[in-house]
Amino acid sequence: MLNYNLPINVTKDYSEINFSTVDPVLKINLRGKNREFITKIGKILSIIPPTDPNISSGNENLNILWLSPDEWLLYSNDKIDPVNLHAYLNNDVLEEKLYNEISLAKLGSITNVSDHWVMINLKGKNIFELLTAGCPFNFNKFKNTKGAVTQTLLNHIDVIIHNKDINDLNIFVRRSFSEHLFLWMNDTAARI
Amino acid sequence: MFLINCPYCGERDQSEFSAGGEAHIVRPKQPTELSDDQWAEFLFMRKNIKGVQFERWNHIHGCRKWFNMVRDTSNDKIHTVYKMGEKPPIK
Repeated sequence: MLNYNLPINVTKDYSEINFSTVDPVLKINLRGKNREFITKIGKILSIIPPTDPNISSGNENLNILWLSPDEWLLYSNDKIDPVNLHAYLNNDVLEEKLYNEISLAKLGSITNVSDHWVMINLKGKNIFELLTAGCPFNFNKFKNTKGAVTQTLLNHIDVIIHNKDINDLNIFVRRSFSEHLFLWMNDTAARI
Repeated sequence: MFLINCPYCGERDQSEFSAGGEAHIVRPKQPTELSDDQWAEFLFMRKNIKGVQFERWNHIHGCRKWFNMVRDTSNDKIHTVYKMGEKPPIK
């Protein structure tokens, strides 16, 4: 049984830095190589997965993040009612449709990773001060590019960072590392 | 610490990468016909030279793709990077 309960459920406020875990949202890993796969995803979701590196595409409900030339992460913007969470995620129509039309048709693979990644939202002017304290990535261009995506290390932990808007980003971290990363962010933000 | 230009993601810090040893080692077509010494030569023996070396690297904390690199091991100068399956651009 998938575990959708968040390991951390708090909001932290520091000077110009605000971060919190986001209620579980649907996250699906998309893998495929050929043009048919990309066309099919585009037809089902009405969003074309980006083929250029380090960017994302999306609409008001869904985002598709570029992870590698043949891998993308799809996540929803909708917060899900916790009472109906299991019912929603287990019977999700979107996932079923993707699975039937892509995995079963052998165009690519569709994997529900909703419980695999924990999403932390960061807002505020000083969020990049926090990130550069533990990250080897150069954020100079990234922070001014809306929709930019990067996979890198933060405090030696693998993360996916999605720049939603100016001074508003989502960090995806593996569930088992999420509590440790959150504690580190908390500690570092307090010193900025 | 140095920067590596991943052919898929662009320039990243070396800490995001993992070295995968010498590149362009061809697997024998008939392993069963080799002697133990010949098999050990293929499996374990690597050049590890001081100077320009052809290497495999993996962007393990990024796109997780393998690629090849021509690097001078004496000063970490990277001459070029190229994708798996491509021929080395320099000799």
